[in-house]
Amino acid sequence: MAEIGRLAISLALLCAVFSIGLSVIGARRRRGDLVRSGEHAAYATFGLVALATVLLLRALLAQDYSLEYVAAYSSSTLPTNYKIAALWGGQKGSLLFWAFVLTLFTTVVEVQNRARNRELMPWVTATLMIVTAFFLGLVTFITDPFERLPVPATEGADLNPLLQNYWMMIHPPSLYTGYVSASVPFAFAMAALITGRLGDQWIRTTRRWALFSWFFLTLGNLFGAMWAYEVLGWGGYWAWDPVENAAFMPWLVSTAYLHSVMIQEKKDMLRVWNMVLVLLTFTLTIFGTFLTRSGVISSVHSFTQSGLGPYFIGFLLVILLGVGALVAYRLPELRTAGTIESFLSREAAFLFNNLILVGIAFAVFWGTVFPVVSEWVRGVKITVGPPFFNRVNAPLGIALLFLMGVGPVIAWRRATAKNLWKAFAGPVGVALATGVLFLATGMPFGAAWLTFVLGVFATGTVVQEFWRGMRARQALLHESAPRALSRVVGKNRRRYGGYIIHLGIVAIFFGIAGSSAFRLEKQQTLNTGEQMSIGRYVLRYDGVQSKEDGHLSQLAAVVTVLVDGKPIDVLHPEKRFYKKPKQPTTEVANRSTLREDLYLVLGSYDDATKLVTLLAYVNPLVVWIWIGGLVMALGTAVAVWPSGREREVRVLAPGAVGASAE
Amino acid sequence: MNARAAALCVLLATTVPALAPAAALAVSERPTQAEMEEALTCQCGCGLTVHSCNHLNCGSGEPIKKEIAERLARGETGPAILAAFEARFGEKILSAPTFRGFNWLAWVTPFLVVFVAGSILAVTLRRRARAGAPTPVAPSAPPPAGGDPALRDRLARELKDLDRD
Repeated sequence: MAEIGRLAISLALLCAVFSIGLSVIGARRRRGDLVRSGEHAAYATFGLVALATVLLLRALLAQDYSLEYVAAYSSSTLPTNYKIAALWGGQKGSLLFWAFVLTLFTTVVEVQNRARNRELMPWVTATLMIVTAFFLGLVTFITDPFERLPVPATEGADLNPLLQNYWMMIHPPSLYTGYVSASVPFAFAMAALITGRLGDQWIRTTRRWALFSWFFLTLGNLFGAMWAYEVLGWGGYWAWDPVENAAFMPWLVSTAYLHSVMIQEKKDMLRVWNMVLVLLTFTLTIFGTFLTRSGVISSVHSFTQSGLGPYFIGFLLVILLGVGALVAYRLPELRTAGTIESFLSREAAFLFNNLILVGIAFAVFWGTVFPVVSEWVRGVKITVGPPFFNRVNAPLGIALLFLMGVGPVIAWRRATAKNLWKAFAGPVGVALATGVLFLATGMPFGAAWLTFVLGVFATGTVVQEFWRGMRARQALLHESAPRALSRVVGKNRRRYGGYIIHLGIVAIFFGIAGSSAFRLEKQQTLNTGEQMSIGRYVLRYDGVQSKEDGHLSQLAAVVTVLVDGKPIDVLHPEKRFYKKPKQPTTEVANRSTLREDLYLVLGSYDDATKLVTLLAYVNPLVVWIWIGGLVMALGTAVAVWPSGREREVRVLAPGAVGASAE
Repeated sequence: MNARAAALCVLLATTVPALAPAAALAVSERPTQAEMEEALTCQCGCGLTVHSCNHLNCGSGEPIKKEIAERLARGETGPAILAAFEARFGEKILSAPTFRGFNWLAWVTPFLVVFVAGSILAVTLRRRARAGAPTPVAPSAPPPAGGDPALRDRLARELKDLDRD
C-alpha cells in the first residue's frame, strides 16, 4: 500500500509538470487541444493525489505501524476521529493534505470555466499546477509520508495530547481551506498579468473565490482562538504567537482586497492596489506555511523543525520576483484615468481603510520577524511578545474601527457639509451619548472607551443604512417593514451582507476591548469547603473527582459557583494525564454568558494535603467575539448568495454554460 | 478646507488618545506582580509571558514569579527588577523590545510605514485631484420653455441618490 501511495504521488507530480507544459505551450501557440490536455492532466493530478491521501488515511485508521508517519502520530488507543485528524496533524501528512485541497480546488476551477475565460484559463491552470508541483515535490523528495520504518513499530506514539480536542477536527481544515483557496484569485491575477487582460474579468470571476478564502481564513482564525481559549488554560484567546500571526496576516490583506475591489468595480480605480493585494494575500499564505514548518521562529504551534525552510524561502523568492516583474511590466496598463477627487469621499475612506489594514499586517509581520532581524543584525536574541503587538496594533485597530463607520455611508466622489450632516449626525450623536454614559458609570477614558464609542458609531451607521433603505422602499412601494427590509437586502446582497459583516466585526472589537481592559483574575489555594471570591462570584471548592481509562486519567475539582449566596452552577476544572506521551494537559471549566465568562483552571492538587490551587478569571464580553464570528458568517452567506437576477438567468437558460451573470 | 481639516482632526482625535497606552511601554516604578510577570517571557518554551504560562509547576515560570514577589517585597523598582532578569537571562526574557539602540526600530517602523504611506497617498490624491479638476464652462442655455420642472427635479434627485451607491 505504501508503494502505491508513493507511486501515486510521483505520478501526480509528473502530471502536474505535464499540465504546466501543455498549458503554457497551448496558450502560446493558441492550440485549444493542448490547453484541454493540460486541464485533463490537472484532473489526473487531483485523482492521483486523492488516491494517495485516501491510502494514508487508511493506513492511519488501520494502524499500519510499518509507516513512520503512522507510528509517529497514531496509536491503538487513539479515538477514530483523532486518527483521521492525524492526517493533518503532522508535517508530512499536512503537506499531502494541502496538495489534496489545492488539486480539488483546481478541479473545481477547471469545471467552472470549461466554457468561459478561455483566454485566461491556460495560465490559470499553469499557475495552480506550479504551486501544486511545489508541494508535490516536497512530498515526493523531502517529506515522504509513506516512508517505511526499518523495523515496524509495535505501537504508535500517539497524537500530541494538546491536539486531541474536537477543535482539531475543525480548525486546521478551515485554515487550510482559507490558505489554499487564496491560490485561485492569485492564479487568475497572474493570468490577467500575463495576458494583459487587466479589466474586471478576472475580478468578477474570482469574486466568490476571494470571499470564500476570506471566510475560511476568518473561521480558521476564530476557531484557533476558541481552541486556545478552551485548551491552553491561560485565560486568553490570542497570544500573538508567530503561527497565529501567520494566519492573521493574510486575513488582513484579504480584507483590504475585498474592500478595494468594490472601488474598481464601481469606479475602475485602484487596479494596482487590487492586483498587489491579491498577490500579497497568496504570498502571505506561503509565508505562513514557511513559518510553521521551517523552525526559523520559535512557536509552540510549529511542526517539528525540518529542512523545509530553504525550499519555502526559494519558492517565496520566485513568487515575489515573478510577481514583481509582471506588475512592473503591466504597470502602465494597470493605472487608470480615474482619480479620487476628495479626501472626504467613499473612495478615499476605502483607500485609507486599505492602508490601515495593510499597516496592521505589516506591524504583525514586523513584530514576528524582528527577533530574526535582531539576531542577524546584533547577534542578540530577543522576544517580541504580546505587549508589543497589543500596543502597536491598538491605535491602528481603533483607526480602522472609525473608518469602518465612515466608509459605508460617506458620499462617493465628494461629500458636502450637508451630506456629512445627513450621514453622520445620528450615529455620532448616539456614539457620543454612549461615551458620556460610559464615563458617567465609571469607565475610564482610554482605548477601551474609544473602542466602545467607535463601535457604537459604526453600528449606528449600519443600522441607519438598513433603516433608510427600508423606509425608502416603504415610501415607494407601500410594503410592510419586514417585507421592505428583506427586499432591500435581497436586491443588494453584497452591500448589506457587508454591513452585517461589519456588525460582526464590531462585536469582536467589543469582546476584545472588554476582555482586555476589564479582566479580573485571582489565584488561591483552598481546602475542601473553603471559598474564594472574584468579581460577583464566590467559588466553593467541594473536592475532587477522578477517573481513568486505558488512554488517560482525569482529575477534576468540583467547584460550586455562588452569586449573592445562591448556587448558580457547578464547574469542573480538570487536569488530564495522557499515558502514551506522558503529558499533562489542562481542561478549563468555563461558564459563559453575554456579560462575562467565569473561567476556572485547576492549577495544582496535592494528594497528601488535599489542597487545591485554583486560578479564576472573569473575562467580560468574550462571548461577543464568538457571536461576532457567527454574525460574520451570516453576512458572508448573505453576500455570496446568488441574487434574484442570477437565479432567473439560470432558470431561463439552464443549459447555457457560462450564462451566469458572473 | 474646513471640512477636510475637521475630518482629519476627528481621525487624529480618535487615534492619538489610543497612543497613550504606548507611552507606558516600560514598567512603572511601583509595578504590580502581574505587571512584572507580563513584562517577562517564560523560558519553558510555551511562548507566553510568565504571567500567562499555565504549565503545572513550570520550572521556569514559578521560580521567576517567586523571585519577582521577593524583589517587590524588598521595594525594588520595576526597571531595576527587569534589569536584573535581563542581566541573568539576556534580552530574550523581556516580552517586548527595549527602548534602546536598535530596538527602537521595532516600535517606530510600523507607525512610520503607515505615516509615510498615508502621506504619500495624501499627496498623490491632492495632486491628482488638482490635475483632474474640470475647467469651468459657461452656463448652459436655459431649457426650452416647454420643459417640465418637476421632472427635471426628480431626475436630479434620482441621479444624486444613485451616485451615493
